[in-house]
Amino acid sequence: MFGLKQSPWVIHYDASSCNGCDIETLACLTPGFDVERLGVLNTGDPKHADIFLVTGAANEQSHAVIRNIYDQMPEPKVVVAIGACACTGGIFRECYNISGGVDTVIPVDVFVPGCAARPEAIIDGVVQALAALMDRRKAMKALGKNVDQVLYSRAESADAARILSLQKTAHQQEGTIYGEEHVPGLVQTLPALEVELTQRVFIKATVNGRLVGVARGYAQDRTGFISDVIVHPYFHRCGVGRRLLEELEKALPDMNRFEASIGDKCVESAAWLQRQGYELYKTDSWRPAIARVYFQKERK
Amino acid sequence: MVYLLAAPLVGGLLVGWDRRISARMQSRQGPPIFQPFYDVFKLCKKENIVVRRSQNYYVALFLVFVIFTGGLFFAGSDLLLVIFALTLAAIFLVLGAYKASSPFSFIGAERELIQMMAYEPMVLLTAIGMYMVTKSFQVGDIAGYHGVPLVFLLPGIFLGFLYTLEIKFRKSPFDLSSSHHAHQELVRGLTTEFSGRTLAMIEIAHWYELVFLLGWVYLFFASMPILGVAVSLLVFVLVIFVDNVFARLKWQAAIRSAWAVAAVLGFGNILILSLLR
Repeated sequence: MFGLKQSPWVIHYDASSCNGCDIETLACLTPGFDVERLGVLNTGDPKHADIFLVTGAANEQSHAVIRNIYDQMPEPKVVVAIGACACTGGIFRECYNISGGVDTVIPVDVFVPGCAARPEAIIDGVVQALAALMDRRKAMKALGKNVDQVLYSRAESADAARILSLQKTAHQQEGTIYGEEHVPGLVQTLPALEVELTQRVFIKATVNGRLVGVARGYAQDRTGFISDVIVHPYFHRCGVGRRLLEELEKALPDMNRFEASIGDKCVESAAWLQRQGYELYKTDSWRPAIARVYFQKERK
Repeated sequence: MVYLLAAPLVGGLLVGWDRRISARMQSRQGPPIFQPFYDVFKLCKKENIVVRRSQNYYVALFLVFVIFTGGLFFAGSDLLLVIFALTLAAIFLVLGAYKASSPFSFIGAERELIQMMAYEPMVLLTAIGMYMVTKSFQVGDIAGYHGVPLVFLLPGIFLGFLYTLEIKFRKSPFDLSSSHHAHQELVRGLTTEFSGRTLAMIEIAHWYELVFLLGWVYLFFASMPILGVAVSLLVFVLVIFVDNVFARLKWQAAIRSAWAVAAVLGFGNILILSLLR
């Protein structure tokens, strides 16, 4: 782990903070605290950053920005929520435009409380984030070695945050094609996903405890609807998706047929569905300017 | 061979020293001296995110040609060839940044081209000045020149060369294309779209470049080796000092001042030299 621990580069984003926590965060870089002695560099570029420092509660305007910065950061990466607002929403929690803490948008590893959080507490948070960063790195290494030992099981409500994180990664391509606001998987919030987890059937694929794929579906009128099959980009073309679909079909036992629908421009997903025995049967327009194609398969 | 192995070590230590001295100038404690090595080791462990795969290919070529340039130089080869190889290396970095097609790296690449236009004339004049004194373009002959140190005959060219070093190291006031400091108008300019191992390659290339350019400073004092090494290091400290003192200039000011320096100090020096002969 040489190097990773000695050189955490941070990127700082003000989600909707009153600037109190921002000032304290930047105070860490000044001669009084000088975090550069720990190798910490404040970088303005998400692609160079290891630690994402967020201050302020997540509001409607900052959701997309937080998600965007997080997605652009290369793995291994960790998120530190600084201050009461970033942790829980703080005094703004009940506001009409606030969804709560930063963890309603992206998974957060370290919470630094305080209003405003003191520089000492922020530095402590960054040091704790280093431990999380090492864990991430270990998980990444383990992933690379154990592709053949994938575990398939029912997802539980405790998996919600990890599923959310995975679907934000896995749906990037659709996001690029249609715009993020049109991809349900990218706009879903944690509370919404928690509700969905109680209503639908979720099958997860894990490697060494890390989530690499999820399939979800539900039953209606003896038809099994496959709402989503996602696999982490590192695990594409390893057969994880095929197994997930099989397990999901098994988990919906009394169905005569299965149905899945995707955007018409998702050519790769369409080809994949056809390889799994699904046939195209209709096309309609789902939203203005977005056509949807429907696939079905009879149970043999 | 010594250069290939020792240059990244020396260059990395110099950069660590740079960050330490900069911190002290700002009354901070600063990072450990080995910090640049930690950074590069870390970058090698990070995921490599690209816009287009080919951008990494260009950066790899940048590294190869920087090493090639330094290799030619320390092997005592032709100074003109060294300059052309250096330009080629820089062009590959610019192409890599263009390839990423992000507005930030795009403007960074354009500014890097402008900076190259700014320093190229002075670098060429430096080679010509050295030729006029030693009657050879071979680095080996220039280094083995037994007379008064070149700097006494080429004071203007020496000062002009120091000016180009400021541009070449991308230090303030000429950190237009890419800066080491956060919060600027171009995010990270040239290097914005590079991450992980590719960014580490750019760092290592800078170490090689640093050692090679300080080697060139040494050439001005080649007949007095100890003084030469001391002055090279002093020049490096001067560059750090200037970096901390000055704010960034606009690109127009950078190119005008660099060409003015090349015309007055560089060309003037050569003119006087040819009149004295």
